[in-house]
Amino acid sequence: MQAGGAARESQVPALAPGLDPARLPLSPAEGYLLSRIDGRTPWKLLREIGGLAPREVDRCLARWVEEGVLVVNGAAKPAAASKPPAKAGAAATTAATATTAAAAATARTAAPPSSPPPAPAAAAAARPATVSAPIDESLLNASLDLAVEAQRRILAYERRLGEPYHALLGVPADADAKAVKRAYFELSKEFHPDRYFRRNTGPFGPRVEKIFKRILEAYELLSDPTTRAEIERAARERVEEETVAPPPPASAAVAAALATPDPKAAAEAKAAAAAASKRMRQLPHLRAAHLKQLAERKAKARRFFESGVTAFKAERWIEAAGSVRLAIAFDPTNEAIRDAFGDIQRKAHDERAKQLLKEANGALDLRDGRNALRLFEEALVFKPHDPEANATAARLAFLIGEDLKKAKEYGQRACELEPNVAANRKTLGQIYAAAGLAANAKRELEAALRLDPKDREAKEALRGLGRR
Amino acid sequence: MGRVIGIDLGTTNSCVSVIENGQPTVIPNAGGYKTTPSMFAISPDGKRLVGHLAKRQAVTNARHTVYASKRLIGRRFDAPEVTRVIELAPYEVVRGPNDDPRVQLGDKVFTCPEISAIILREMKRIAEEHLGEPVRDAVITVPAYFNDTQRQCTKDAGKIAGLEVLRIINEPTAAALAYGFGKKRDEKIAVYDLGGGTFDISVLELGSGVIEVLATNGNTFLGGEDFDRRLVTHLLERFEQQEGIDLRSDAMALQRLKDAAEKAKCDLSQRESAEINLPFIASDAKGPRHLNLELSRETLEGLVDDIVRQTLKIVESCLGDAGLAANQIDQVVLVGGQTRMPLVQNAVAELFGKRPHKGVNPDEVVAIGAAIQGEALLAEDKSLLLLDVTPLSLGIATFGGHFTRLIDRNTTVPVRKGHIFTTTRDNQSAVKIRVLQGESDQAAENDLLGEFVLSGIRPARKGEPEIEVSFDIDANGIVSVSARDLATGKEQSIQVNATSTLSDEEIQRIIDENELYEVQLKP
Repeated sequence: MQAGGAARESQVPALAPGLDPARLPLSPAEGYLLSRIDGRTPWKLLREIGGLAPREVDRCLARWVEEGVLVVNGAAKPAAASKPPAKAGAAATTAATATTAAAAATARTAAPPSSPPPAPAAAAAARPATVSAPIDESLLNASLDLAVEAQRRILAYERRLGEPYHALLGVPADADAKAVKRAYFELSKEFHPDRYFRRNTGPFGPRVEKIFKRILEAYELLSDPTTRAEIERAARERVEEETVAPPPPASAAVAAALATPDPKAAAEAKAAAAAASKRMRQLPHLRAAHLKQLAERKAKARRFFESGVTAFKAERWIEAAGSVRLAIAFDPTNEAIRDAFGDIQRKAHDERAKQLLKEANGALDLRDGRNALRLFEEALVFKPHDPEANATAARLAFLIGEDLKKAKEYGQRACELEPNVAANRKTLGQIYAAAGLAANAKRELEAALRLDPKDREAKEALRGLGRR
Repeated sequence: MGRVIGIDLGTTNSCVSVIENGQPTVIPNAGGYKTTPSMFAISPDGKRLVGHLAKRQAVTNARHTVYASKRLIGRRFDAPEVTRVIELAPYEVVRGPNDDPRVQLGDKVFTCPEISAIILREMKRIAEEHLGEPVRDAVITVPAYFNDTQRQCTKDAGKIAGLEVLRIINEPTAAALAYGFGKKRDEKIAVYDLGGGTFDISVLELGSGVIEVLATNGNTFLGGEDFDRRLVTHLLERFEQQEGIDLRSDAMALQRLKDAAEKAKCDLSQRESAEINLPFIASDAKGPRHLNLELSRETLEGLVDDIVRQTLKIVESCLGDAGLAANQIDQVVLVGGQTRMPLVQNAVAELFGKRPHKGVNPDEVVAIGAAIQGEALLAEDKSLLLLDVTPLSLGIATFGGHFTRLIDRNTTVPVRKGHIFTTTRDNQSAVKIRVLQGESDQAAENDLLGEFVLSGIRPARKGEPEIEVSFDIDANGIVSVSARDLATGKEQSIQVNATSTLSDEEIQRIIDENELYEVQLKP
């Protein structure tokens, strides 16, 4: 298994998580090499510091990657390896993926060891995009009318849905329309919901449907010459842009995806650098659609975030929260935006609650009880622990009398927040009484009278309780 | 698992098929015929007659014999198509409480799904007699251009007939399944389906056990019966010229003319001329009159040439939708009895530049395809997959009364598609999402499937808010639509259910009522 040298040189091998190196059968020299692997040192450097001849280093590293001892997390990792680090136990899968993909010159990935046995050669060639992502074993359910192996494949494929369209279909970046269609047909055979018609597939039904919709999208976009040209153009632009200026750390994911050269192109680069660089331009449509979208969305996110910050400084909290929410919608992975959002949202909620409470009190002044209740309730969504709003909402809901359950909730919360306000206890007591919960009602009304012995309404309510 | 049957519920004839020992088989009825007339009658002594029995007495009992009710199903009473049926049919069509056309036979009024159900039950019975076991599951075919209401009504008919309808699939798609069954080659095929009542054209692609519908088009009101009608009109005119008698208001004479025209039309597919001989068709003061004339193939072709041209226009538009030129089609499959006509075959051959495929029986191929799809859904061994499409475009009404498509017709399902919309006024706080189905660019000309309001949009200048509208069609064809304000995250959605012309209660009432007539094999 010889990966293209140029691509490999910049790879950074790391020990597979959960692996105990002490249990490997290694020679002292190999042990020394293994000890140099720290997840930061690139392959190229290991050749020089590994204590073995460079060819020996290559051989050892390649073997360990294949065996799952190492995972490759370098800047130049193949697309299929751009997964989150594998969990213990699934490490072998990820590692196998990395090498196979590198060698295959396509985005096709290796089947996990748990996959069904490979089909005969001809079928295997036609079978695209075998799945290899580590899966959450706890989701498997043997009681379903669906083989566990099939469940495994569905889960694994579902994890790959974020991959670029070509990779998703398991075709090379320069695949022609016919190959794209064949791959789509093959995947449809496995993931079209009709395959599981009338079978008890539990939560796998919706998963299959989701997968199919995504495959369909990939097929449609890659089959339409217009969208495909767009995808390829965007990819070229992106690549040129990225080669000039390295991306900011925030978009590390983009950088990782961009830096992934096709191994085939990399191999050629070794022979003729000029030819390779020309080819590089043609190849990366693999991630192009994605990248273009991503870039546009990130730019949008930036704009929204900026206007959000402006609004925040001007203390227009609600507007700020709205803008930042949009920014997150467009760039959900940006931690900085997310962090900022928490504060802004709190402020915005307070502000919104303040507005709503003002409106609610206005409605109350106008004796529009229903509207006031609605506004209080809306305010409580933003500020659930406002004692006054809870108390008033409880009172209003009780007086309107349509939804005692709601009234009870507000009343209870008001009493929890301010147990020593007579009016709160009285209202809750009255609500309980209306709901027929006499013992509770008695307790609350008595509490109300202890706090305010002169409250006639509470006295009457208590008497009414006795009569009943 | 019980057997699943495929039913071609045709305008004029129906056919039922089942997979036996891995091979699709058409099931003949008691009379040995592989197709059964889609006819229903109530005889003067109150007996219910279906199929050949109904057809045989149709001439003498014209007012109480229903045919071609498929032309009425799922339509509104005021639709022009219904008006045409009312003009031509000897039976009485009345307005139902849901504004749907219903058929009055004596003192009993039948809904259209009910009449279809009677035919379907007959097909079910034929299958059960053949198989010697009860049948529950069925796949039923409809013309590709049937809309949601027509499909839902057909489903209801199946329910009334005691069938579990696994799928409603398009007739040309079924034909392609039958053609593609067991074939390994990759091919692009066109299915030209000119049946009794409808014309459909579909372009499909076969490849390694998967059948993908690339495009489909058609006219639900164009078929062999139009040929018959042209011929009947021609005969009426010639008779009037010769004898001075107008037969148009004479139901019995019309039925005889229709039968004779249909027979002559079929004869002319084989021969250059046909004789039409209808003795005692009318009488007046001068005594009985006979209709006796000679009809040439050329005359018939002259009468219907424009109809055939019309179908070719639809074929061209369908090829356009599929993004293919006529010469890129590898195989042309003809479906429907009317395609036996040499004029039709020649026109199709000329358009595609190749002779149509001869291997399938145009009367049976649709039912066979339906059975194949039923088997493909239920069988353990999944060797065939149909990637079906949505027949009509879906979208929303946008500013200025326009229709904006989100899902084009002929899109493979299940599918999800979204688009971002915005407001048209400053500080607009709510948008109304009107979900429409149809092909017109004018919102008002399409069918409204449902509507909802998304409110609470934050105040902004017009064009700034971003509202993402998504359409989702699941594997069973259920459409859901959602709208989300990206700024607030607020979301509203609806599920759009296909509407039938019958309410659930009505269907249940009919089912209950029909149990009185039900004869079933004991399980």
